[in-house]
Amino acid sequence: MIITKNIKMADVIHLNYHTLSVLNRFNIYLGFGDKTIEEVCNDKNVDINFFLEIVNTFVDKEYFPKKQLQTFSVSLITDYLKKTHQFYHEVKVPEIESLINEMIETCYTQKENIVLLKKFFNEYKQELLNHTQREEEVVYPYTLSIEKAYNQEKIDSSVVDLMKNYSINIFKTEHDDIEEKLYDLKNILIKYLPQPKNVQLCNKLIHELFILEQDLNDHSVIEDKVLVPKIRAMEKHITKKLSK
Amino acid sequence: MQNTSFVIYSPSYIIRKGLAAIIEKIYSNNTIQQIENTSEFFELIQKNETDFILLDINCPQIQKSITKLKTVSETNRIVAFYFQHKPKFDIHFIESIDINYPQNKVFKKLNKIFGKINAPDDGQNIPDEISKREADILRYIALGYSNKEIADKLFLSTHTVVTHRKNITRKLGIKTVSGLTIYAILNKLIDINDTPQI
Ligand SMILES: [Fe+2]
Ligand SMILES: [Fe+2]
Repeated sequence: MIITKNIKMADVIHLNYHTLSVLNRFNIYLGFGDKTIEEVCNDKNVDINFFLEIVNTFVDKEYFPKKQLQTFSVSLITDYLKKTHQFYHEVKVPEIESLINEMIETCYTQKENIVLLKKFFNEYKQELLNHTQREEEVVYPYTLSIEKAYNQEKIDSSVVDLMKNYSINIFKTEHDDIEEKLYDLKNILIKYLPQPKNVQLCNKLIHELFILEQDLNDHSVIEDKVLVPKIRAMEKHITKKLSK
Repeated sequence: MQNTSFVIYSPSYIIRKGLAAIIEKIYSNNTIQQIENTSEFFELIQKNETDFILLDINCPQIQKSITKLKTVSETNRIVAFYFQHKPKFDIHFIESIDINYPQNKVFKKLNKIFGKINAPDDGQNIPDEISKREADILRYIALGYSNKEIADKLFLSTHTVVTHRKNITRKLGIKTVSGLTIYAILNKLIDINDTPQI
C-alpha cells in the first residue's frame, strides 16, 4: 500500500509499527488523534513530500523512487540521515548494550561467552561511531558546499579547492559496509552460542539486532543511491560551468 | 548461508512482480533485482555476477538487442519467459518457460534449474560443517595471523588460504575476523587467553 498525505497518521503506525522510530526522526511523536499526515506535517513544519517518500521507502522494501528522492535538497536529506545516526547512537545501541549487560548479570552458565559478545559489540559500536562521525564531519558538509556552489549564479572559487581534495566518488569507495559485524553477531547468537538460561533476553537481543541491521541497510541505501548520484550530477555541472 | 542472486528483466510491471513472487516462493535465500529498462539491464549484467537472469523475451526492447544478449548468454544463465509463441533466437537459454504454463509445470521447471545451481560442483552434498583443514586455518585467523603468514605456516599458497577463508565464511555465516574469533573460542578451537584482539 502506498501511503499518501490524506491518510491518518495513526494508520501509518497501524500499517507498520516500525515507522514509529521514523516519525520521531521528523520530530513527530504520538498523540496525533485523527489528524492526517498532511495536517501533522504542517503542524510540525515537516516537508510532506519528503516525509511521504521516506515513510513509503521504509514500509515497502520494493518502493524506492531513486529519481524522486534525488529531487529533495541536500540539507533535507542529510538532516534526515543525521537524525538516523542519532537514533542509532542514542536509542538502538544503548538498548542492545543494556540487553547484553542484563544477559551477563542473569546468566551463570554462559557468562564468559556473553562477555565476549559484549566486547565484540563494543568494537562494533566504535566502528559505527567512526563511520557516522566521518560522514557528519567530512561527507555531509562537503555535499552541502557542493549544493551551495551548484545554486550559485557565479561559482565561488573556494569550491574548486574543495573538489580537488575530495569528491563524492571518494566517499563512494571509502563508504564501508557497517552491517557486517551485526550480521556476524546475529549468526553467533542464532547458530553457535549454547543457549543461555534466559531465553527471552536472548530473543529480544536478536530482535533488536535485526531491527538495527535493517535500519542501517535502509540508511546506507539512501546514502549510496540518493545522495551519491545527486552530488555526482552537481559536481559534473559545476565542473562544466567552471571550465567555460 | 548461500545467497542466490536473480535479475529479472521485463518492461512489464505485472511480469516482473509475478516472477519475483514465484522466486520468493521457491527460494527464500535470495536477492532479486527487478529491471525495467534495457540499458540499465545490460549495465548491471556486465558488472555483476548474477546467478540467474530471468528474461522476458517477448518484449520488443530485447528483440532489438539480440547481439548484445548473445554475448551475455555466453557467460550467464538465462531463463527465458515468453507468451504463447517462443521467438526464434540463436541464443542459448538454460530453460524457456511459457507464462501460460500451469503452476505445477512452472515450479517443476524452475525447481529443476535451482536444484542444479544449489548442488556443489562435484555433485556431492557437502555438509556445512567446516573441514579439518578449514579448522586449522580458522585457528590461525583467530590468533591474528595474516593470509600470507597462514600460507607459510601450513605450506599452502596464499590463494588457497583465501579460498578456504571464503568457504569458512560461507559455511559459518560469519564475515569478520572478530566474529570468527568468537566462533573459534566458543568451539574450543583456541583458548580465550591466546587471542590478540578480543
Ligand atoms: Fe550514515
Ligand atoms: Fe554510511
